Amino acid sequence: MRTPAAAVALVVVALAVACGGSKSKGTITIVVDAPFSRSPYIGDTIANGVRLAADQLNAQGISAGGKPYRIRVVRLDNGLSPARAVTDTRQALRRHAVAILTDGTGVDATWRLANQKHLPLCITYQGGTGLVDPKARPNVFRIAPTDHGLAFRLAEYMVPKSLKIAQLTDDSDYGQAGRAALDDAFRTVSKSVVVRITLPSSASDLAPQVLQARRSGATALLVWALPAVLAKTVVAARSAGWHVPVYATPTAEDPVLRQQLADHPSWLDGLTFASGRMTAELGSGPWSTFEAAYESAFGATYVGVKSRGRRVISPPDYAMYSYDCANLIAAAVQQAKGADAKKVLAALNQVSTHGANGDERGFNEINHEGVVDDDVYFARFGNMIFQPVKDDPLSSTLPVINQVR
Amino acid sequence: MSRGAGVLTFFVLLLAAGCGSEKKAEEGSAEKECDSAPAAMAGQPALPAKFPTPDSVTYTGQKKTGPSSVVSGYRDGELADAFDAYKSAFDSAGYQVTDDEKEEDDAEVNFSGGSSTGQVKMIQSCKDRTSLAITIRPQ
Repeated sequence: MRTPAAAVALVVVALAVACGGSKSKGTITIVVDAPFSRSPYIGDTIANGVRLAADQLNAQGISAGGKPYRIRVVRLDNGLSPARAVTDTRQALRRHAVAILTDGTGVDATWRLANQKHLPLCITYQGGTGLVDPKARPNVFRIAPTDHGLAFRLAEYMVPKSLKIAQLTDDSDYGQAGRAALDDAFRTVSKSVVVRITLPSSASDLAPQVLQARRSGATALLVWALPAVLAKTVVAARSAGWHVPVYATPTAEDPVLRQQLADHPSWLDGLTFASGRMTAELGSGPWSTFEAAYESAFGATYVGVKSRGRRVISPPDYAMYSYDCANLIAAAVQQAKGADAKKVLAALNQVSTHGANGDERGFNEINHEGVVDDDVYFARFGNMIFQPVKDDPLSSTLPVINQVR
Repeated sequence: MSRGAGVLTFFVLLLAAGCGSEKKAEEGSAEKECDSAPAAMAGQPALPAKFPTPDSVTYTGQKKTGPSSVVSGYRDGELADAFDAYKSAFDSAGYQVTDDEKEEDDAEVNFSGGSSTGQVKMIQSCKDRTSLAITIRPQ
């Protein structure tokens, strides 16, 4: 009878260990509130960055205050609607989330609700100037290029070229925030702007607005608009035979732009946009590591067009921001010795991590911005892929990121 | 490929990247002997009110870039000293250091104050000299 008794004892012990282990493990819930239905590229990019960080942390094991934790990622679709973002924030609070990562939709409405329970919000896409304010909104953080940085860097790059700039912003929240940032950046060099035009984002044809820009004597278009609106602007200019240089913001990276110009790839050639640098001073090694891990986990993001016969992919640069933010949240939980929201929020002002590109990421009590203005670079399209420009001091030092598979 | 494989790939590549960064350190310019120093600019650059100039800093030029300006110069001595000197000088001058980062051969101190924001970028160009590029943006 000794053998069956020993076997039973073994099973009992194994069950006890398994149950005990399971019960003692805490959960760190990170909610990703993003526009999965309306802007799937942005939504998936943000969520995948968080997912990758969570998988890596779970694989290596994460503990805080002597207790093991597991990170759980919950996706909620805000559909670019502030009202839905509010509903999602309530749901995140019910689920005892430790943080919300968001594209930025509805933050003006959600930050106060979240702050009542000390819930941090981390914005990883929108750069609106008023969204982040450590004094007024102590629970709002951002890792993404700011509109301030993009607008100033565009002004610094374009004005010395003696261009006559037509400033085109669409009527979306994104475009209107951009309009405010551009007005601020060009305030002291306003003579460089010959006309300011609002683009109706619902219009199917932007020929009238582009014609207005042309008649103003503009020698360059600076477009701050959603990707589809940017595409319509390029189509309107090029189909009218106007080869004016076009400058834009990170929305130019969105596959939608290239998909809509797939029949006329040459129309995109030369379009220059500002965005956050992918690689840091350390070199391209850390970025390549991150990109490889991202592609291994989720596959490459195919744009749906080809360059010299090869399939074009979109590098996961914005996923890098949500990845870094998730790692910072995990570091804050560890520093706070647990998932107590108030302590985690306080710890977010103190911790730092090495980001996906090797740069140090972190916040402090006076600064909740994770990307500095001077990390904005310029890239130019050619054959459906983009490369850093050579006529900007920062950009000229950056490596070309492979974008074909 | 599964996420598990992705995680494994990440750690393998992380090791490879670590080796790559060592190579960069070996190639740093901090050990090079310095050539003769660039000439100082005539006069003083236009800096924001109470903008600090630590000891041993020489300004060599200023360039307008649209709404902003970039002041170039150098500081005698090593990168670490220049980095500490600027952080301390901003503090004393009532400016806020919003962000800073120091690596082996380069460093940045981002500031806010004097109705401006910007960055002091420092690169140790040779053994006893740290080159400076100060970007100033109106606030």
